[in-house]
Amino acid sequence: MSNEAIKTDNELEKISPATDIVETENGFYMYMDLPGVGKKDLDIDVEENVMIVKGKAATSVIEGEKYLLQEFGEGEYVRRFTVADIVDSKNIKANLKNGVLELFLPKIPEAKPRKIEVSYS
Amino acid sequence: MVIDLGSVYNFPYEFDKVFNEVFNPRQYKRGKASYPPINIGEDEKNVYVHAEMPGLAIEDMDIEITAKDLVIKGERKLPEGRYFRQERTSGVFQRIISINTLVDVDNVSASMKDGILRIIMPKAESSVPKKIAVEIE
Repeated sequence: MSNEAIKTDNELEKISPATDIVETENGFYMYMDLPGVGKKDLDIDVEENVMIVKGKAATSVIEGEKYLLQEFGEGEYVRRFTVADIVDSKNIKANLKNGVLELFLPKIPEAKPRKIEVSYS
Repeated sequence: MVIDLGSVYNFPYEFDKVFNEVFNPRQYKRGKASYPPINIGEDEKNVYVHAEMPGLAIEDMDIEITAKDLVIKGERKLPEGRYFRQERTSGVFQRIISINTLVDVDNVSASMKDGILRIIMPKAESSVPKKIAVEIE
């Protein structure tokens, strides 16, 4: 039984989700398109400096529905990121809304830009 | 001497892109097809249109239906800021879907879940197939 489950997992098409990364003074915002992925099917793992995002997209088909045209389907979103040392990886925040995963990766205080005061003499 | 560090900085990204295009052809492909990608299905009672539109709310789009076509249009805006990497598509989109079945235009409904739009169009009475009893002599 457990072998069967693994098999179906492997059969799902792997999709690398389109990702935007925006840098601010305090950290990095990441936006990842994960249409069809619900909260329970999303998995984010951070191990040392590697972050893995996995999500299963559910099929949109309704019971009894016959497809006439299909341009997208079910699949598994997988993407692996190397997190820079300047990120405080213990405080990564995630929010899933309308099929977009928003991640905030705060910078460690030492990495934040400092203003240098210039004095006149 | 001034060295343009920008080009050096881009190198890992450019390399990554070429690598992914060769070994993972599915990546980035979604942006190249018509936007949004759709699935069309039907059963005896309804015609269904599903569209993959992550990050959009029902308020961000216009859905119009005439006797012949279904038009989905809107604009996808991305957050402003200094982009480190940008792969998601943005801008104005429009998709026109021809329907060759008569639908009950007044009872069309649309909903959005996890970035997938679902439009349910009930078939008009006249286009629901009727069984004709054939008598064999």
